[in-house]
Amino acid sequence: MSNKPTHKTSSGELAGFVRLNEGIKGVVLIAFQINIMALNAILLAHRAGEVALGFGVISKELRSLSVELTGLMQELSNDAYLAVNLISDLLRQERRYRLLKKATDLVVNPSPALRDVMVRREEEFSLITHRVRDVRLRLLDRLEDARKLCQFGTAISRSAKIEAAYGREYGRALAEVSQEFDQKIQNILPSIEALCTGMQRR
Amino acid sequence: MKTAQTIYQEGSHRWVVIARDPSKPDCVIDTNEYLISREGDNLLTDPGGSEIFPAVFAALSTIVDPMSIRYLFASHQDPDIISSLGLWLECNPDIRCYVSRLWSSFIPHFGGDENSLVAIPDEGMSMPLGSGQIEYVPAHFLHSSGNFHLYDPDARILFSGDVGAALMPPEEDELFVRDFDKHIRHAEGFHRRWMGSTEAKLDWCERASRMKIDMLCPQHGSIYQGDDVMRFINWFAELPVGLSTFRHRR
Repeated sequence: MSNKPTHKTSSGELAGFVRLNEGIKGVVLIAFQINIMALNAILLAHRAGEVALGFGVISKELRSLSVELTGLMQELSNDAYLAVNLISDLLRQERRYRLLKKATDLVVNPSPALRDVMVRREEEFSLITHRVRDVRLRLLDRLEDARKLCQFGTAISRSAKIEAAYGREYGRALAEVSQEFDQKIQNILPSIEALCTGMQRR
Repeated sequence: MKTAQTIYQEGSHRWVVIARDPSKPDCVIDTNEYLISREGDNLLTDPGGSEIFPAVFAALSTIVDPMSIRYLFASHQDPDIISSLGLWLECNPDIRCYVSRLWSSFIPHFGGDENSLVAIPDEGMSMPLGSGQIEYVPAHFLHSSGNFHLYDPDARILFSGDVGAALMPPEEDELFVRDFDKHIRHAEGFHRRWMGSTEAKLDWCERASRMKIDMLCPQHGSIYQGDDVMRFINWFAELPVGLSTFRHRR
């Protein structure tokens, strides 16, 4: 079991995935707020008519972005749940392995059948370790997708600011909404970065 | 490490006690495990908690191949009784564990499933072991609500789980009771607190007094033999137990 992490590292890993899940909840909340804001912005653009056509298109894009981000976070959450299950299993296996190893060491001449049990334990352990690694890589891929999505969101929220400038008598209201869009998107990015860093560190 | 000591032998039929682990962590209660072996059929009673599994396994290996254990018997569901089940099943997935039907969906939290657990009905049952039979004797509410003892009529030994248990200081930790009056002081507090039902206690005492018992083997403490068996049954029958004796109740 040379690649066997200690109980301490598995526990740390478990805590990392639990923290990830908490971070995801924060992003989902902001995505929900963007969705509501975008819906209101679409209605505002509709009232403003011709002068806010571009703003309306951008608001729809932001709404789609929030839906996509929520979906992505749901997938991340599912993976985090899977990882927590796998690591819990790993911790259980570690404990069993430790006790079986201790028993084997205490027996003067361990039977071949007992040695087979230990080999099976090691194989099982290795299999779960690989599965945890695969889930972590998948999580990192999804977090990268989320980061790109937020970068796209930053770009279109800036376009919303430009479009707001053409809003004439609705200009001020549209500018306020576009400012809020920008703030929300800016709030998500550090959360995503923190989640990426947290996962890469392990 | 625990040591294994034969306490009964008649041909291939024997009882071995695995007891007294000086190296166990202080936070873990010491336990007695009993191996009943007959014509190659091996049964282990109350195999113990996970943390003492290595010590039990190693001590057992000095007598038989531990991988040859075919049956486990759990008197009830407590972790010091059966939380090692998952480890035993790792060694031999064909092991069958006999336990009260009440616990057959609780014990899988420690390991095993519907295939590895055999539910004992409330009224008890017999099962063959080698050329003989052993009996699972009801001892419900002593202390667990689904509780059994194991009786070997040919060896005249009753494995009595927590009944008869004593929490003894290390300097008096003998394998057999030598001085009943001195010993029973270490059993009193345990029985008062853990055996909550006078009705269940008297019912068990009445049945046990009719059985032919040469040795009464508890899961903790010393083994009663000879006249001390009936002394214990009489003492237990007289002992006030239950809520009325519980001084700290509000």
